[in-house]
Amino acid sequence: MAAAPDRKPQGFVVTSPDDGTPIDLRNPFLAAVLSWLVPGLGQCYQRRTTKGGLFMGTLLAALVIGLWVGGGRVVYASWRGGESRLAFLGQAGIGVVAIPAVIQSLRLHGDGKEPLAGGWFAPPLKPGQLVSTAYAARLMRSEPGVDAEDFFDKPPYKQFRGDQLSMWQRRLGRRFDVGTLYTVLAGMLNVLVVLDAFAGPMRAPPESRPQAAAPERESLQGKGT
Amino acid sequence: MNDVLLGLLVAQLADKVPGIFYGLPLLALASLIFAATHHEDPAAIGLATVHWAVWLGGVLGVVLAIVLLLGWIA
Repeated sequence: MAAAPDRKPQGFVVTSPDDGTPIDLRNPFLAAVLSWLVPGLGQCYQRRTTKGGLFMGTLLAALVIGLWVGGGRVVYASWRGGESRLAFLGQAGIGVVAIPAVIQSLRLHGDGKEPLAGGWFAPPLKPGQLVSTAYAARLMRSEPGVDAEDFFDKPPYKQFRGDQLSMWQRRLGRRFDVGTLYTVLAGMLNVLVVLDAFAGPMRAPPESRPQAAAPERESLQGKGT
Repeated sequence: MNDVLLGLLVAQLADKVPGIFYGLPLLALASLIFAATHHEDPAAIGLATVHWAVWLGGVLGVVLAIVLLLGWIA
């Protein structure tokens, strides 16, 4: 999985901890950002496709399973008064869900707002929250347990009188916690993947372990090789 | 209709499966990611995955045993 020997390194180079072959990290900052956005994408950019595929397959599978088990409701960002979604700190380790969750949370901040794309990754409505009439109608159609009695008329808005988070937890039961656990762990493990894309494998190369001398880590970028 | 049936099936499974078994895939996932971020060679990743799984499973098993023991004493 190290850089092919016939390909010139284009950036920072580290040494494989297993066989001492060079690993071309190319642009580590770009690789780290790509791996944050989609697990393993940075490794694929670095041409470490086996590891990239491994990270992508396993972490995205954990994320999708968590979302599926949790009814698609377990990933959201909320830091409004009285309710902070601490689990989002872990889930934010994967950008492909963190970015939409932050956008949806900002979209719902304020009176009469509504989220995008049918409310995916949107935070739950709090008691007394004002939403647009269109969003209230959509919730009544699509959200199990939400009906016209859950809204007061506050022209030009509708005021939610229930607690949507409690509704989700009552409807999903243990599935809400299991889905949250899977998505949080996937996000936290992706932090390790981002570090791997930025700095290579965390284990020291064989020659720099205590039993051997510790030669300096070299970068071939400045040598023009 | 299929979505509803699938949702009911998942809900039934989630209620029947003991909570500890939800942790096993996560244990395997964490071991694999730990191993893959410490190695580059697939064979070394495989060996390290087993190593990490044994360690993590052992530590979590000891913690679980202590919790169960405390619950039994109380």
